[in-house]
Amino acid sequence: MFQYAWRGVRYNKGRYIATLVAIITGVAFFTATGFLSDRVIDSLEGSVDREFGSVDVAVVVDADADAVGSDFAADLRISGDDADQIIAADGVDAGAGVLTGSVAFLGDDGKTFADDAVGRLWIEDDELNPLDLEDGVAPAGEGEIAVDRGIAESNDLEVGSSVTVLTLAGQFDATVVGITKFGSADSIDGTGTVSIPAESAFDWLSSGQVEFEDVYLRGSVDQAELQSTIEPLVPAGFMAQTGDEYREDQQAFAAGVGKALKRGLQAFALLAMLVGGFVIYNTFSVIVAQRLRELAVLAAIGATPKQLKRSLRYEGLVIGILGSAMGVLAGLALTYLLIFVLKLSGVELPGGGIKVSGTTVLQGMVIGALITFLSVMIPARRAARTEPMEALRQAAVETGTLSRNRAIAAGALSGLGALGMLFGGSAAVGFGMVALFAGVIVGGPFIAAGVSRLLRPLLSRLGLEGRLATDNTARNPQRTATTANALLIGVFLVTLVTVAGTSIKDFAVGEINKLSSADYTLESTGGSIDDDLVADLEAIDGVAEVIPFRSEAVTIDGNPSALSTGDISSLTEVADIDISEGSLDDLGPSKVAVIDVPDSGHVVGSTVTLADISGETVELEVVALISFSLDTLTVGNVVDMQTFDSFVGDTAPTKAFVKLVSGAQTDTQDAIEDLTNLRPDIILTHGNELGELFGTLFDFLINAVNGLLLMSVLIALIGIVNTLSLSILERRRELGLLRVIGMVDKQVRRMVRLESVLIASQGTVTGLLLGMFTGAALIFSIGRLSDADISISLPGYQLLMVLVLGIGLGFLASIIPAHRSTHLEVLEAIGAN
Amino acid sequence: MNTDVALAAAARSVDAVKTYGEGDAAVHALAGVSVEFPTERFTAIMGPSGSGKSTLMQCVAGLDRLTSGQAFIGDTELSTLSKTDLTLLRRDRLGFIFQQYNLIPTLSSRENIILPLTLAGRDPDEDWFNEIVATVRMGDRLENLPSQLSGGQQQRVAVARALVPRPDIIFADEPTGALDSHAGTEILTFMRHAVDETGQTIVMVTHDPRAASFADNVLFLADGLIIDEMANPTTDRVLDRMKKFES
Repeated sequence: MFQYAWRGVRYNKGRYIATLVAIITGVAFFTATGFLSDRVIDSLEGSVDREFGSVDVAVVVDADADAVGSDFAADLRISGDDADQIIAADGVDAGAGVLTGSVAFLGDDGKTFADDAVGRLWIEDDELNPLDLEDGVAPAGEGEIAVDRGIAESNDLEVGSSVTVLTLAGQFDATVVGITKFGSADSIDGTGTVSIPAESAFDWLSSGQVEFEDVYLRGSVDQAELQSTIEPLVPAGFMAQTGDEYREDQQAFAAGVGKALKRGLQAFALLAMLVGGFVIYNTFSVIVAQRLRELAVLAAIGATPKQLKRSLRYEGLVIGILGSAMGVLAGLALTYLLIFVLKLSGVELPGGGIKVSGTTVLQGMVIGALITFLSVMIPARRAARTEPMEALRQAAVETGTLSRNRAIAAGALSGLGALGMLFGGSAAVGFGMVALFAGVIVGGPFIAAGVSRLLRPLLSRLGLEGRLATDNTARNPQRTATTANALLIGVFLVTLVTVAGTSIKDFAVGEINKLSSADYTLESTGGSIDDDLVADLEAIDGVAEVIPFRSEAVTIDGNPSALSTGDISSLTEVADIDISEGSLDDLGPSKVAVIDVPDSGHVVGSTVTLADISGETVELEVVALISFSLDTLTVGNVVDMQTFDSFVGDTAPTKAFVKLVSGAQTDTQDAIEDLTNLRPDIILTHGNELGELFGTLFDFLINAVNGLLLMSVLIALIGIVNTLSLSILERRRELGLLRVIGMVDKQVRRMVRLESVLIASQGTVTGLLLGMFTGAALIFSIGRLSDADISISLPGYQLLMVLVLGIGLGFLASIIPAHRSTHLEVLEAIGAN
Repeated sequence: MNTDVALAAAARSVDAVKTYGEGDAAVHALAGVSVEFPTERFTAIMGPSGSGKSTLMQCVAGLDRLTSGQAFIGDTELSTLSKTDLTLLRRDRLGFIFQQYNLIPTLSSRENIILPLTLAGRDPDEDWFNEIVATVRMGDRLENLPSQLSGGQQQRVAVARALVPRPDIIFADEPTGALDSHAGTEILTFMRHAVDETGQTIVMVTHDPRAASFADNVLFLADGLIIDEMANPTTDRVLDRMKKFES
């Protein structure tokens, strides 16, 4: 008898273990994401203060990120003269222009290293300079540079090392005179920093032109006062911000990534906890059913319904608090584990250590305890309704009857939801989605009963155990549904994300590919596309034509844009440049073809004002409007050579389109890349690259989101294990009898496995269908409401994987319960002695 | 009743010993029992709680294993069988009736009755099935689930389940223990009828002298040993004998 009691205790412990694991997993996930994101946010915000701490006024590009033309804004520069004027203004103690450009090093073996490092003009003013010298001296004079600690360590550079620097303007020999660091980090730039003194910086980074991206000022007067002094001196396309405003913007921008990450991750963690709620609810429902006799005895000897309810709630609360506290600890461990795993896979998170914020700990505790408490509410109410009479009845399996109200609610919710999604406005689509989902959850027991009825003939063919397995799922449809619903949530979201995401991806990639036509686009940042390069490129087998053109950042009627000129007929031939109004043939002196920006008021015959970085302006007459496309984004507005020369000057070409012969091989691409790799200033863009990039980005997002959703699927798995284990406990006698009269253990285990797979299949298939419908309806409605020609993509392979995974998990979940089903000796099971 | 004809044993035990625990704490539930259960006979095993009567039945029925000694079903020695073979032996050659009716709640009466055959993948003999169902008077409740039946009706289904596969021997453990006297009498009458009319062998464990009076022969157990035996018992004689043991 002792052994029997001991086994009972063990089973009871199992009940709470499942509940605890569900809570711990959810809370741990929640707090770990909080800890990690806080560390990243802190570090990003902190580096902003380090970088711009002393700035009182910043002169920066006035770019409205949403405006058309913001792509051009980053190219705008402040001329050296303007910068000098600004720095010379009253109240300015010191000023510093910022200039950056790509650099790399050429090793003795002919291979490049520290590719994509950022070359930075060394800022003389100690306070404005974000970098500190760790070793050596500040670079000063031609041929001297400083490199950051990271570059130095990974390439064995030290003070005194001689290096060959690859820059926009070519190769230069230089000596490392200093090693820099940025706060506690190596570098201000993710790819490494090379500091270059003013003597070389303009030649190396901007073709010899003295110009800056931003100008930072330190003053002896109040920030606002300094700002108003500077404002009149700021060139078109730029604005003056006080240091505080600027830092705030930069912090918002820097931390924005971290905060969005945190919100996103915690949303998934909440979802995982919600799924955990289903598991807890189910566990307590079963516990109440099994304790019915005990509760009824309590009721008989005078426990009020309130007291019964309270006892269950206390139990829930205790387990909730205990689980949440353990979850926070597990979260801490998980954080270290994640950092370690990321480090192993080569990802170094910014910042150091873990920031254990009270808010995150408190949130995790409160949410974990609350979800447990709420999940226990309904089972507790059921406990309160226990009649003393029930003590006298034979303890039976908890049976549930399906009420008509439930049927009506489920039908109404899902029907209205589906209608709203298919025919409603955008708000109705959103509400419809929620209503449909709620309807399916509420209607879960009907699905459970229906699925079991439907599959019974099929599974009966597998023998009695198949038949009994289907019957067991129908025995208490509510419990089956709650278990399956936990899995359904995860599968539904995975399917929805996959279907909607893939549809949107296919649409976006298709649209992008439609826009582009040149095979490659070359763009030199700071250097030029010289004749030698053009000749080298054209010599590559498979390259049909290289069309270089001259381009310059300008503002058009105050908006950032680009102005280009070149062999216009060749350009239109190679690139996707469509004229929506007028003709490029009409170009001539003081004439311009402008990009057809909506609402700009540009028409053929109107006059536009262009300004270059020096502030010089010119008025041109519009003779043609160019339709918007990827290539026109590269080209910008077009004038003839003469007009360009007189306005911009006799500059070298900085951009080029490359056309390949049809059917060119990957060898061609490799040859082009080999050539452009030697020129750090040149950015090579594949015509389809943007499309590919977007495709990859979408795939990454879809996979990342699905990976996070797996968390909830795992918790659902715990739910299935738990429900089955408890069911087996309840049916101990029944299983015992089957074994007494001749069911061999293998058959018993098979029965349990089938039941598990059935429950998992119900959750998976329902979730899959619901997700597919919701995803398809969502895409259909996006198309319907926006007139976009967006079609529904059902990625068969991925969806099949989800199905296999779901059912496979069901099988996995049955391992422990199946083992337990035959664990007891027959006699103990049947309770004969 | 031909008690003078020597009958082959349907089941028997030789020096059956069952010990729980070890050393000083050891309890001998069976202290060396040799017994034969003759075919086509109704044998009752009686004894006070802890006498070992249930243990004896369980060990002979292949539900539990002996510590030492042997138990046979027909010529099959049970200790030589694996767990699975034991299960198959129970399925193919034995029938069981328990105090708690132990029906499968999701199966109808008919399905419960043919359960052992279904497990064995055999089809029931329809005439035989109908005859037994008629005997236990459950013909009109075959499609009902156990929860829709009274206790007596459920036990009648359990009796039918034990009879339908024509097992070599039926083991009944307190079959009337949970029933009122009327329903109990019914069940015992069916069991008696099965022995008399179809030559079924039944072994029943009971503590009720009235139930024992339906048997051909009663074995009395105390402290793990058979201490007495009684042929053609009546309620009063059994009761007297029990009183004698207690004094």
